[in-house]
Amino acid sequence: MKLQRIAAITERVLRQLAHDRRVLAFMLLIPAAAMILFGYSFSGDIRDVKVAVIDEDRTDLTASLLDSLTADEALLVRVVPSGEDPERLLLEEGYQGVIRFPAKFTSLYYAHFAMGVATSAQGRIDLTLDESDPQIAAAIQKSLADALMDLGEGGPVDVQIQDLYGVEVRFIDSFAPAIMGLVVAMISTVLTLLSIVREKVDGTFARVWVSPVRRAEFILGYVLAFGLVALAQSLVVLGIGGLVFHIVINGSVFWAFLCVILFAVGSVGLGTLLSAVAQTESQAIVSFPLVMLPSVLLSGMMWPVQAIPAVLRPLSYLVPLTYSNRVLRAVMVKGLAPWQEPVGFAGVLAFVVLTIAAATLVLRQQSRRSD
Amino acid sequence: MSRAEPVFAAARVEKAFGTLRAVDGLSMAVEGGEIYGLVGPSGSGKTTLLRMLCGLTAPSGGEARLLGSAMPRERRKVEERFGYMPQERAVYRDLSVAENLLFFGQVYGMSRRRIAARTAELLAMMKLEDRRGQRADRLSGGEKQRLSLACTLVHEADALLLDEPTIGLDPALRAEFWDYFRDLSSRGRTLLVSTHYLHEADRCRRVGLMQRGRLVAEGTPAALRTLAGEHAGHPVGDMEDVFLVLTRSEGDAR
Repeated sequence: MKLQRIAAITERVLRQLAHDRRVLAFMLLIPAAAMILFGYSFSGDIRDVKVAVIDEDRTDLTASLLDSLTADEALLVRVVPSGEDPERLLLEEGYQGVIRFPAKFTSLYYAHFAMGVATSAQGRIDLTLDESDPQIAAAIQKSLADALMDLGEGGPVDVQIQDLYGVEVRFIDSFAPAIMGLVVAMISTVLTLLSIVREKVDGTFARVWVSPVRRAEFILGYVLAFGLVALAQSLVVLGIGGLVFHIVINGSVFWAFLCVILFAVGSVGLGTLLSAVAQTESQAIVSFPLVMLPSVLLSGMMWPVQAIPAVLRPLSYLVPLTYSNRVLRAVMVKGLAPWQEPVGFAGVLAFVVLTIAAATLVLRQQSRRSD
Repeated sequence: MSRAEPVFAAARVEKAFGTLRAVDGLSMAVEGGEIYGLVGPSGSGKTTLLRMLCGLTAPSGGEARLLGSAMPRERRKVEERFGYMPQERAVYRDLSVAENLLFFGQVYGMSRRRIAARTAELLAMMKLEDRRGQRADRLSGGEKQRLSLACTLVHEADALLLDEPTIGLDPALRAEFWDYFRDLSSRGRTLLVSTHYLHEADRCRRVGLMQRGRLVAEGTPAALRTLAGEHAGHPVGDMEDVFLVLTRSEGDAR
């Protein structure tokens, strides 16, 4: 193990990155674009959400509720004939929510306090939601709650929520930690993979293995290079997050960077591991969504892991970003030390240890490949 | 390693890929300072033999030795003393000419100063001085091949294994490459060069003719001509005819 050789590999990888202007731009543009796009889509006020109202009761009470809803800027209300199927309206007509006042809503609403005694009778409103965008679904719920508040009198209303996808929605606490993790995972995994596949395709792999370079030196060289890249990317995300979106970081930036770098190390290991499967550059590129999609959809980045259907939930715990999100949110949002989120921190550490160990084995096999 | 130990040696070395015997019980030895040509058609096992000799793949049987060390088991002992040029133009396409040489110098533990001096020498030798800052993927095929050779030579190894170094080059450039090889040999380097250009056999001090993983004949170009003449019953001058006569008689002998 020699520092000079490790440094040689690090320097070489960084030089290669610097040479490819497109990759370089990509590396810095991705975190910037991700932060800007996600930032705007999450921090702006929600307006003009298409909502259908089915009024089967047709009373003054429902008319006044309808007025309140129509006055709400967040919603774009259309009254549709009774008998319409809410699911069809959501799936085919592009509505994002359907509010239905069933017949007898009004009488039940007033019956609750009939004769001055509370009864179990209760007005019920059916709300069917497209939960694919949790922010929007939550906005509809809030508008409906506001409209009911405006009534000011009468009994409680039972809002029956039907989830189109059977998902319970919760606002994501913070997105900057998730974006940092996502960007680092994508870039480190995919570029490591691409770089190693190129070494195989071009034959430089053979040259490296006949030289005194050890497998551990090879991996450490990559790890150092991408650790530095991850640091730069985190600075971009936090910089834009702070300056443009005024995100609040309650915890220690030091711990956040440490966790991000750890995560980058694991991602380098994962990229090396995937290089055992990918033999050509195009195969390597195809693996991009392989890393991207589960990370975005299952890691708790867009919606809480608890909101993922039970069938898919175990997969969430196989996605490394799930752990990175937990620990980074704990550090950046809640202001904890990494080990105070033991599951997330242990998950990231296990990711690092497992992928680096597996990567070493994969390289052993590849360096002795009998082809 | 004793003085008499050959630089490259194979003793009944074998390599099987499934049912294919890429190298089939081959024995040979190359002495210090020689240019030994491994000549034979594509698929005759030249690359596999070279890869076993430099420790990239383990023999399925027999023994491959480089500078006295059994490969791949003892390759750590000799790893700084040999250079290998793979058949692909194995350079980093997104690094410049000078940066490629810098990297391969660094992994062999050379100082930056030493690498800079060596780079200047090699670029002059390979006529690549004006390509110094050029990215490897912008080089012509011949230039890339010269850079690939330079990367093999940067750490001044004693023993060189060159796998089809002249493949795809025009005749003038091929002649130039053989001039480099002769120059290296005159400085005490030992070269094991594979080629499927049969005429290049004449550039070697000794030649091994390979076919189907075996060494069909071995000797100086002149000795091989004589041998082929004996088999054919008339003088054989052209190296391609020598190869044809000797491979045919090998087939008869089986």
